[in-house]
Amino acid sequence: MSTYEQSQEALATAGTEIRPGRRYGFFTDTTLCIGCKACEVACKEWNELPAEADGGLSGMSYDNTRALSSTTWRHVAFVEQMQGDGSVRTGGDSDLPEFQSRWLMMSDVCKHCANAPCLETCPTGAIFRTEFDTVVVQQDICNGCGYCVPACPFGVVDLDEQDGKAHKCTLCYDRLKGGLEPACAKACPTDSIQFGELDELDERAHRRVEELHDRGVRDAYLYGAPGGPGATGGLARLNAFFLLLDEPEVYNLPAAPTRPARRVAPALGVGLAAVAGLAVAAFALLGPGGRR
Amino acid sequence: MSLRVEELTGSRKRKGERRPREGYYGRPAVKASPWNWMVASYIFVAGLAGGAQLLAGAAGLVDRRRFAGPIRNARLLALGGSVAGVGLLIADLRTPQRWYNMLRIVRPTSPMSLGTYILSGFGGFTALTALGPLFGRRNPTVRRVADAAQIPAAVTGAGAATYTAALLAATSTPAWAAAPRELAVSFGTSSVASAAAALSAGEALAGRESTRRRLDDVAAVATAAHLAAGWATAQRRRRRGALEGPSETRPARRVEAADLLLGGILPLGLYAADRATGRRSPWLSVAAAVCVLAGSAALRQSTLDLGKASTREPETYLGFTRPRAAHRLGRHPARGPRRPA
Repeated sequence: MSTYEQSQEALATAGTEIRPGRRYGFFTDTTLCIGCKACEVACKEWNELPAEADGGLSGMSYDNTRALSSTTWRHVAFVEQMQGDGSVRTGGDSDLPEFQSRWLMMSDVCKHCANAPCLETCPTGAIFRTEFDTVVVQQDICNGCGYCVPACPFGVVDLDEQDGKAHKCTLCYDRLKGGLEPACAKACPTDSIQFGELDELDERAHRRVEELHDRGVRDAYLYGAPGGPGATGGLARLNAFFLLLDEPEVYNLPAAPTRPARRVAPALGVGLAAVAGLAVAAFALLGPGGRR
Repeated sequence: MSLRVEELTGSRKRKGERRPREGYYGRPAVKASPWNWMVASYIFVAGLAGGAQLLAGAAGLVDRRRFAGPIRNARLLALGGSVAGVGLLIADLRTPQRWYNMLRIVRPTSPMSLGTYILSGFGGFTALTALGPLFGRRNPTVRRVADAAQIPAAVTGAGAATYTAALLAATSTPAWAAAPRELAVSFGTSSVASAAAALSAGEALAGRESTRRRLDDVAAVATAAHLAAGWATAQRRRRRGALEGPSETRPARRVEAADLLLGGILPLGLYAADRATGRRSPWLSVAAAVCVLAGSAALRQSTLDLGKASTREPETYLGFTRPRAAHRLGRHPARGPRRPA
């Protein structure tokens, strides 16, 4: 039986078939997240990632992974907002009455951008686009130059000093090849993390935003959907996009990131022109011209 | 109650208010590059070597015999620089035994990929040009090959002198991404100035006055251009808000000023003093050359340090990546258009 004829567990667990050539991603609906961190655990278990060295209490609410890194590919962020410290602005133009506090929980992950800056800067070709439209770092090619690390507008990919290579979420490439949905999406008990084909996810996400707006939760918006915040500046769209309830900065996300590759041509062009100009000046200054 | 413009543009935290730009518990929102002094040194060395071959090419077109001394020095300097540069780059890799993977692909969106080939081409042509001074004393064919390789070495040298700025600008680090063009001119002018200064010092030490003076003129012009470019870079960074976190601004301004002083104002003053005293003694010129070289090296290290500093506080990056229209709209664009109640 070929790889793609074997049973597609994803059909049962995620309602989607996994076939090469189609575009897959995550829709993370943070209004459903309960902060259980099953996604973090499932990710670390499946990918055999070590725990944090300083993985004790962080003082950042219930967050103990603190940030995405080379050994943390799913990170649940906890944002406590309470009246009095001014952080709850009564939900913007929401119809809901003022409330005392709210707890925003969001499972952060690699965004698998459509025009991924990490991929565009990688000089060895270790980072590539898979047949499922995800972005993966090939561990047998990466030589640890570290260029992808400052390139990522979301601070996702990280260079591991111990093994000398760059690491990030693979969207469980190995599971996808076997017809299984990613570990975090499978483990999520509330279906906050939804795996599927992008068109299907986009539709579902827009319907959910409409539904929330109709119920009076007007703060809700999509981050990373085409044309929205997070998908700006040439990034086109994020294959892993989110439904958020507050401004992106609250979750440590940039509101209007840009695609770094746009800066290559202007920098190179103007730099070369300046150097060429100096070469012409040098030619003139070195040339004959009397006693100086 | 919706967001007001003052909330978007206010810069200090009001008592008890937590603003979105603070980010998430003050954690960095973007990651700093893992590069250290090895990369800073490489950028300096590559710029110096590239600039040297560029000037050797120009000098060769003017009068190959008259400038034989500087041309020879430039070729040997560039050879040493290429070897040292490649060594530094490979040593900086966290998995150096796979250095050859840099040659797997050509990726035009990656200045590091382009740089791999610029450096390889430059190294190859430079090696050919160096055959002249090394083995060409009695062999005219070798000299001819070396001279033929000079122009390609100069062209690839021009690339080596400035592509590293594109490398830094094509990231999400605010201090680097804020002023790509200005940074490229800053790096390019610094490279040419440092090369002219080094070659001029060589002439001073060899006692060749006339060529020393010509190279001093080139170094002075390049240094003046660098001063302008450096100032423009600092201005644009400030306008784009790339160094706005509370702990970043003052140290950053000091660093930028120090670079412009050491690599700009001080050497220009020394060149002017040299001219004013009739250019009799070479020591003012040598002092200026030392300043230019030190300034060029300091510029690269401080640019790297500024970049890392600008990623540390979320306030800096999140402010830098705010949509520019936010101030006009008066509401966070993430919320979309107002919906009727």
